[in-house]
Amino acid sequence: MTKQRMPAVKTADVWKVFEHDGLAVEAVRGVSLDIEPGEFVVLAGPSGSGKTTLLNLLGGLTRPTRGGVWIDGRDLTSMSERELAKLRLERVGFVFQAYNLLPVLTALENAEFSLLLRGIPPDERRRRVEELFAVIGMTGLEDRRPAKLSGGEQQRVAVARAVVGKPALVLADEPTANLDSAASDALLGVMADLNRERGTTFVFATHDTRLMERAKRLIRLVDGAIESDDVRQDMGG
Amino acid sequence: MLAVGYFSVVILVGWSKGLVAEMIGNGTGILTGQLQVHAADYQPDKSVHATIGGREGTDVAALVNAVRADPAIEAATPRVYGGGLVSTGSATAAAVFLGVDPELEPQVSRIMGALERGRHPRRGANELLIGAEMARSLGAEPGDTVVVVAPAVDGSLGNDLFVVSGIYSTGLADLDRTFALIPIDALQFLMALEPTRIHEIAASVPDPWQAAEAAERLSAVLEGAGFAVGVESWATLRPEMVEYAQLSQAFQWILLFIVFGMAIFGVANTMLMATFERRYEFALLLALGATPGVIVRSVLWEAMALGALALAAGAAITFPVMVWWHRVPLDLSWLFGDFTMLGALMRPVIRIEYPWLMTVQAAVALFLTAALAAVYPAIRAARIPPADTLAGR
Repeated sequence: MTKQRMPAVKTADVWKVFEHDGLAVEAVRGVSLDIEPGEFVVLAGPSGSGKTTLLNLLGGLTRPTRGGVWIDGRDLTSMSERELAKLRLERVGFVFQAYNLLPVLTALENAEFSLLLRGIPPDERRRRVEELFAVIGMTGLEDRRPAKLSGGEQQRVAVARAVVGKPALVLADEPTANLDSAASDALLGVMADLNRERGTTFVFATHDTRLMERAKRLIRLVDGAIESDDVRQDMGG
Repeated sequence: MLAVGYFSVVILVGWSKGLVAEMIGNGTGILTGQLQVHAADYQPDKSVHATIGGREGTDVAALVNAVRADPAIEAATPRVYGGGLVSTGSATAAAVFLGVDPELEPQVSRIMGALERGRHPRRGANELLIGAEMARSLGAEPGDTVVVVAPAVDGSLGNDLFVVSGIYSTGLADLDRTFALIPIDALQFLMALEPTRIHEIAASVPDPWQAAEAAERLSAVLEGAGFAVGVESWATLRPEMVEYAQLSQAFQWILLFIVFGMAIFGVANTMLMATFERRYEFALLLALGATPGVIVRSVLWEAMALGALALAAGAAITFPVMVWWHRVPLDLSWLFGDFTMLGALMRPVIRIEYPWLMTVQAAVALFLTAALAAVYPAIRAARIPPADTLAGR
């Protein structure tokens, strides 16, 4: 008898409907997905196609209107807010489209925030962040506040914050949107290394063709539904 | 807001305590004394026959010394009471005669210190000190001779010529109209009382709130020494003052609840605004994995930190004012004159008695207010939907 591998993330006929001015807007319509551990997945699609909403659903940031979402086999829809928060802290890293750095904290403090929430000692937090900053070209900028960083630098801090805790799943919304090609390549390199070396599962929502080219699996969304789901061999990393 | 609340409560309570202290000080200090020793049957009729030790009297000096020996008592003086008339020939006034020891009485009461004109009566002399109101109704001045008539304890009617040695004015019209002070030996002679017969030993207790305890202690001591006496503190003699003090204390709590009760809404509103402005920050923390409990605790801790700052600011403005108005009471006599309260003369001053306990109670109330005011905003912050908020929805 063989042990069946559990998907890193799974959705089953998941829908998300928003009320807007009394009208129901279907942002995600009946999406069913199995994303295996270690996959490097890109969600592509035009603006308004539901990429960000689907990412939020996959990370338990928002609850589906109907359908189910599972992370490591755990049903997110039956979890309390506290359980969801703990799951996000321990298993999921987010990179938001708008960076969402805390303006009062330095780059290093922003990057180490999830480690702080996990109760990791300050020296260990600093060591891990500095190690990561060296890889993504942020050394020397540790003490700068977000207002003193460029858009690309802020995005790198946001990525560092998402991956520094070595989560099993990283959900990134347009992570390369504000980066030039060199910075974008460096950042994607870090993520590809994490994917390859640690088996971290990555799910990106993007318009960036460079990122799409690196994807092992490209899922195209149109009007909240999956239009295509292509698994590619020997791509990415 | 919390700092101002702290200032208001502490200063108002200090003022209220000052008012009570002044009322008790004046109500007992002008004439009554904080503690009195009588014959066991003297109260409530106050018969002139009910002298300490009965018809035989007592060793007055020994009794005065025994009373003074109590650690809470600063001074003690013997007194004799009588009732009668004072007449100048053209005018007559009813009077309560108070036989006093001119040397000891000023150590216990302030009535002789209220001398307005003339001088104090001298021991052994037929002299009397009358109040300003009585002097006005009699048309008497210091140096005038008056006829004093008083029923004596042997059934006769004592009468003699006395010289008005001086006129006092306490500001209490009833007192100034009624009481005439006569050297104790002169009054005893007038009322056919032996020198061993007195009606009262009045004593001063610097801390009036120790008087009841001292009275209890003294009662046991005097009883043990063979004196058949009753000892009463001002709290028994002037129960209305105790009631006012209790009312004032209850008012302190009401004040505390009103001030911080009002503050709680203001602080809650401010906290709500602050948490609303920081909703992106809370949404981000929740998205990164902070539990709702972490958010609640963080907002509550911030409220407590704000409470600590408010307490520091409140203390910084409260304590200097408190010490200032304790040492130099704010004189409002330019605004209004003296007034009486429960028979006690009150000066128009804002005098602060240090409300040490209330400084602590108000600090606790301040922190409770800060914490309670933050509970609802903290819960709201913890319930922010992270995805919608970060998306600006």
